[in-house]
Amino acid sequence: MVQQVKNFARRHGCGLFVFLALSLLSLALHRSRVINLIHCQVYSGLTLFAVLLFLASFNARKKLPFLPLLQASTWMQIHIYVGWFSVVLLFIHMEYRMPSGPLNTTLAILFAVVSVSGIIGLWISRTFPQRLTWRGENVIFERIPAIRFQLKQEIAALARKAVMESSSSAIGDFYVTQLKDFFDGPRHVVSHILSSNKPRHRLLSSAEAIQRYLSPEECNQLQDIMELVRLKDDLDHQYALQGTLKCWLFVHIPFTYGLLLLAAFHGLIALAMT
Amino acid sequence: MAEDIAGEIDKPKRWAIPFASDMTEADVDAILKIPPFSHIDPSAFSPLVPLRGLFLNDCRRQRYQRGDIIMRAGDYGNSAFFIISGSTRLVLDSLDEGLLGRGTTQRKTFWQALSQLWKNPTLPEVQNLEHVQQDHRLGSRKKEGGRAHIFLQDVPHVLDEHRTARVEAGDFIGEVAALGRTERVGTYFAEEDCELLEIRWQGVRELRLRSPEIKAHIDRLYRERSLKRHLEQTPIFKHLSQEDLEKVAAQTQFLSFGTFEWFGSYKRLREKDPADRLAAEPVIAHEDDYPNGIFLIRSGYARLSESYNHGEKTVSYLGKGQVFGYDEICYNWLRGKSIPFGRTLRAVGYVDALFVPTAVVESFVLSKLDRARLSNNLPSPRIKSEASAYRQDAANKLSPNMLEFLVENRVINGTATMIIDLERCTRCDDCVRACASTHNNNPRFIRHGLEMDGFMIANACMHCADPVCMIGCPTGAIHRETAHGQVVINNETCIGCATCANSCPYDNIQMVLPHRPEGGLYYDKTTHLPIQKAAKCDLCHEQLSGPSCVRACPHDAMIRADMRDVDALATWFNK
Repeated sequence: MVQQVKNFARRHGCGLFVFLALSLLSLALHRSRVINLIHCQVYSGLTLFAVLLFLASFNARKKLPFLPLLQASTWMQIHIYVGWFSVVLLFIHMEYRMPSGPLNTTLAILFAVVSVSGIIGLWISRTFPQRLTWRGENVIFERIPAIRFQLKQEIAALARKAVMESSSSAIGDFYVTQLKDFFDGPRHVVSHILSSNKPRHRLLSSAEAIQRYLSPEECNQLQDIMELVRLKDDLDHQYALQGTLKCWLFVHIPFTYGLLLLAAFHGLIALAMT
Repeated sequence: MAEDIAGEIDKPKRWAIPFASDMTEADVDAILKIPPFSHIDPSAFSPLVPLRGLFLNDCRRQRYQRGDIIMRAGDYGNSAFFIISGSTRLVLDSLDEGLLGRGTTQRKTFWQALSQLWKNPTLPEVQNLEHVQQDHRLGSRKKEGGRAHIFLQDVPHVLDEHRTARVEAGDFIGEVAALGRTERVGTYFAEEDCELLEIRWQGVRELRLRSPEIKAHIDRLYRERSLKRHLEQTPIFKHLSQEDLEKVAAQTQFLSFGTFEWFGSYKRLREKDPADRLAAEPVIAHEDDYPNGIFLIRSGYARLSESYNHGEKTVSYLGKGQVFGYDEICYNWLRGKSIPFGRTLRAVGYVDALFVPTAVVESFVLSKLDRARLSNNLPSPRIKSEASAYRQDAANKLSPNMLEFLVENRVINGTATMIIDLERCTRCDDCVRACASTHNNNPRFIRHGLEMDGFMIANACMHCADPVCMIGCPTGAIHRETAHGQVVINNETCIGCATCANSCPYDNIQMVLPHRPEGGLYYDKTTHLPIQKAAKCDLCHEQLSGPSCVRACPHDAMIRADMRDVDALATWFNK
């Protein structure tokens, strides 16, 4: 275990060092013009393609957990630093200019989408788990619909009971106008991602506002309803954040494959032209 | 006239389910004529647990034919045997795993490992049970009462190939493992047709408690067979001569605390509040008591706590091989003082301990040490007026919450506990997928479990130091790997009785229904019921790369922790 913690720190240090060393070496080679311009673009392009292939192989590693191919966390660190290095390489390859022509522009956009999605993925992988840990019950993503359905049944039963036991329709109206839709599915996904408590606060305020129309018994029932609202909101929070943690890969990985295909095509054309 | 009230039932009694249904009064009469049982005074037994009742309900007569295996080295037993007639053989060296009904682990080759990529079935729990072949050197026969015996096909060959010793009528075997919840140290088989009295551990304890003759008999056997070796392995006795060691052994007492089958009450206790849970743990030695001796933990776990305002604060836990009370005795001896125990020692579930009186420690241990050197390295017991603290305390390394949580939930039992740092875990389930990929597409753990301070103890087999799941496995299918000590299940000899799954206090063993490769379940030929098997984490012992779950985590969020290594644990928790 101690070794694992030390390894983690060592990996970060090594990664940063290798990234800086490789980047500085590449920049120095490029600026010194040891290689002529055309060859420089061929070499930087081939290196960049190889680097992209290596970056994509991280996904293959995940499919082969039974082979002794280093820990996935080591791969992850290498993936991050080599990813940064690929950005440096791309700038060298593009001669620090904006891309021209539809193919190059598409390639650059694809590269940007993959890089930005990777950076966002890294950021949310480091920040969302903390938010997930300290709010609501830790639930398995696939179980969320079942829990949501259970909450939906409970809130409907509570509302029905409140209406049946009193001659008042206040809780029933509140359920129909505001709660039913809230409990029907995942809600306020964007607010949860952006860490906003506004929808939750608004719903709870609405619930508090109707208290003046309720009997003491109904007030007790409303408290139970508000507790379910909090639980549902926490569940939505888990859904939104866990969903985002899963979904960003659906951008990052397909665009990587697109990028690789187009880069291969671009390379063939470029080599044919030279 | 008393009326029947709905829901009223007879309070369950200890002997509601006897060990065997075929014990008769005549059997008890016959047993009570055999020494040492003939020397027992029945009046020493309580009316609630009378001697005859004990033999009727806690014992069973077992007949073995030549070659039948009676017990296997490495199994965890919950009973001892008394040889009534005939003779048995103890195998002094080790029999190979195949002969003990255990599978031999073969690591996959690179190609076999890679081929899992396309060979893993799409159906859950696909197993090929039709081609399971028992070791040809073993046979099995069903006995009266449905009990199965495994036997050695070629006894003369085993006798030729291995060093063995005869154990004859009138002796106990397996009593050490039964009393101390330790592994059976030897393999016994019937040398000729013989009859044994199997006594479950509760009965052995009661006999030992109530009958000085049986106590003397069993203690003598333990002293002869195991005690000296145990003391030799304890660091504080290492410098003693054989002669002194024998004197220490002669005055050592054997003590047991708590319930042997603690896994039954554990789940009920978890629902109670902390004070009740603590009160349910038997006190071994109390804070402020005079240190009248040292306690050596032989098996199980003990909680070290100290009084703190109106409650008790857990400061550490002790496991097998650790000592309590030595520091206080040492301090008193060197300084001529009489400070009491600084902490309370309680059995967490079950503890089997050796007690060495203070006078023995002073005469044979401390007097043989260099006084000046000992004074320089003077241990610092907790003396309330001086408010010093043990430097080794887990409380100094782990947060109080975490320590209480680990001890109360008995997570300290694990040697490969799966701990997930929830602040790093992205819930990507790469660990679950990796586990499934290395186990025929069947994950062997659930990423769910107890949580404390942002850490999760996931529902994965912890490969416990005290593996209660192994107690009572009728075929020895669940066993410890000899090479690395993982608790694994041999699928070929698992009969699906669910004893292990019911015994696991942490719900980490699942019963599964194996499917045929072509689809559909397997069914028992006699009962026509589906065959089931026990399944759990095996720490990927057949794989090339070790536990795939930890290796698959891209965020360093998971470890398999040995809870005995508090330093390493603290480093991980406080990273």
